[in-house]
Amino acid sequence: MVRVEPPVLIKDLDEDAFRARYQCDRFTATVLSSRLRYIVQHMCTGLLTNAFSVILRDWYDFASTIAGPPELDYPTPAVSNSLVLFLGTMTDAVRNAVEEFGPQNLQPGDVLMCNDPYRIGTHVNDVCFIRPVFFEGRLVGFVNLQAHMLDMGGVVPAGFSGTKRNVYENGLVIGPQLLYHDDRPVKSAWSLIFDNARFGNLLLPDIKTIYQNLRLGENLLLETIQRYGVESYLGAVRYACDLSAETMRQALARLPDGEFEGEDFIDCDGVDDSEEYHVKVKVRIRGDRAEVDLSGSSRQARTSINGGWLDAKTAVAVALKYLLDPRSPFTSGTLRNVDIVLPEGTFFSAMPPDGAIFLYWESTQPLLLAIFRALKEALGPNAVGGDYCSLNIHNANGVRNGVPWVTMAQCGGEHGPWGATKDGDADSYMVFYLANNLDPATEAIEADFPCVVLRKEYATDTAGAGRHRGGAAVVKDTLWLTEAEHYSMPLHTKAPSGFGVYGGKDGAVGAVWVWEPEAYEQVQRAGLVGFDEAVYRQATPVAGVLNPESHTLDHQGRYFHFARVPIWRTRPRTMFRYLTNGGGGWGNPLERPPERVLRDVRDEYISIETARELYGVVIQGDPQHDPEGLQIDYEATQALRNAAASQRH
Amino acid sequence: MSVYPRSSEPFLFVHKEPVQGQCPECGSHNLRRYPVLSEGGWWLVTKCQDCLFSLERERWGRLGSIQLLSETL
Repeated sequence: MVRVEPPVLIKDLDEDAFRARYQCDRFTATVLSSRLRYIVQHMCTGLLTNAFSVILRDWYDFASTIAGPPELDYPTPAVSNSLVLFLGTMTDAVRNAVEEFGPQNLQPGDVLMCNDPYRIGTHVNDVCFIRPVFFEGRLVGFVNLQAHMLDMGGVVPAGFSGTKRNVYENGLVIGPQLLYHDDRPVKSAWSLIFDNARFGNLLLPDIKTIYQNLRLGENLLLETIQRYGVESYLGAVRYACDLSAETMRQALARLPDGEFEGEDFIDCDGVDDSEEYHVKVKVRIRGDRAEVDLSGSSRQARTSINGGWLDAKTAVAVALKYLLDPRSPFTSGTLRNVDIVLPEGTFFSAMPPDGAIFLYWESTQPLLLAIFRALKEALGPNAVGGDYCSLNIHNANGVRNGVPWVTMAQCGGEHGPWGATKDGDADSYMVFYLANNLDPATEAIEADFPCVVLRKEYATDTAGAGRHRGGAAVVKDTLWLTEAEHYSMPLHTKAPSGFGVYGGKDGAVGAVWVWEPEAYEQVQRAGLVGFDEAVYRQATPVAGVLNPESHTLDHQGRYFHFARVPIWRTRPRTMFRYLTNGGGGWGNPLERPPERVLRDVRDEYISIETARELYGVVIQGDPQHDPEGLQIDYEATQALRNAAASQRH
Repeated sequence: MSVYPRSSEPFLFVHKEPVQGQCPECGSHNLRRYPVLSEGGWWLVTKCQDCLFSLERERWGRLGSIQLLSETL
């Protein structure tokens, strides 16, 4: 047997050793790493402020990276602070697209594009645009933007649906090919998109804006290389990746050796509710090495709720980054000491042509949460509670005054709560852990589409209780003013996703309802729809575990399959309600200071009853009509908490 | 793109093929060969199942086992 000495830490390299490894001094390597991150951020800002379609302008559904040259195996030293889902896929996306096209076939002024989920991850609407960067005739790297196109053809306008059954229904697949050559548009490639996709008049300026921001990134990178030299630049690329590999390695070594198992699932696919889709994770830790084994997970679904193998890779990387090593930048080096054992053909590694991939995050977000669950005991107080998990995405389309329109994830349950941590209560209005986007403004939604957003607020008694409270579920009501078609895709309603940690409690589960025009007129009061049982009786369940009579949430009730009506074709003045899942709590709720519980009651995060039952805090008063008059009964609280503590022991 | 049917089995596993030999790091004989996904894409590894030391790592398919029909041209 040989004893393998741990590698010398980068910070412990002396000046000569550092220069020998990275061809520049330490200060220059640090400056250049930051410079690369500045460049990708600058590219994103340029796209965000000049984009035309709502999915880019209002959602920030894109990301930018820099990749090193083929001889370094396409390392990614810099990713943008934007859509996390793309950050893990883009390294392999660039490698796979360029290798298939042939790096020798690229020239200055080219832009390569590809959107195939089985080659580059995510879904067909996310086109990866790759700009090779040449310095003095040498291919030194790539600047890249992957951005969501408003439409990419297929049977569903804008593509968002959990009911498509194969790649042919899914949308146009583009293998690696040139969009620009010698800085001139390749018209046949543009026509391929325009002849197959809707809303070409919006795609055209969006893609031209992307092209200009690729040129911006190229110019900034070339200026950088001109100033610091190509060898220093290439050294800094490796330095940035080595650094994040090293911090992850150190973080893994801080975990105890062992095998840690976790599981999560989604409700079903778009055919019926006969099959749940489970992700099983076994995280094996040995010193500074990890293996994440996904064996035992469910086969691919029959419809487009699947994710691809690169999406699974992203979820693993992001989960470990969140939990173990959140302070160093994310690069392609993050997974250097991590092997993923991934069965092909699961619902997060689906295969063509029948493993249609579109709602890929719905499959990989439970994967991320399964890792969170697996490691929660090992992490102790550093564990993180579960979030709302499912985007509960809603897409509508129609025609107004002869002009077609389509929404892009604005009017479902797309934003919701996170889980609590040791550092404090969780936020309640975020995008799920695998994303990092904007919230489309209500004013923009109502200006662009024939609808009124009636509610966008927190739901009482949905947050996971804890010393630090989980985020509250979000309820969103939208009234549709014209005829429309709707696709509704909530996929995690059978069991809480917002699990509690370190003694914290689970958050509540959500659901979706629709009130048809007659029902809406019957239950609305000054336009708003309330929350009592009589109101829900008039609703038609869309998805969730509900009482079959009253249609209220009931964990012993019946599951209503989200796609039993694949397309909701509605008349004017139909209202949809989305209720997300709640976030998980952190720590024993009986240890939450009573004053903070009082504040939660005043702010209607929780009711007086929940304050008593879950937090052991007795509060007197009327939170709705006299919120500042609420008072804590300290004596009764102490007695209640003492009794609860003695029961626990 | 080639065609890959949906599995008839509800749950899927990676087969880890036993390999003869001894781990140079911990001395274990529990060695297995199987594909993994990591930095750099897919790899076919021979690994110690006790200490996770990799005895061999060689490139696997760029897209895993997915084959492009165009690659047969």
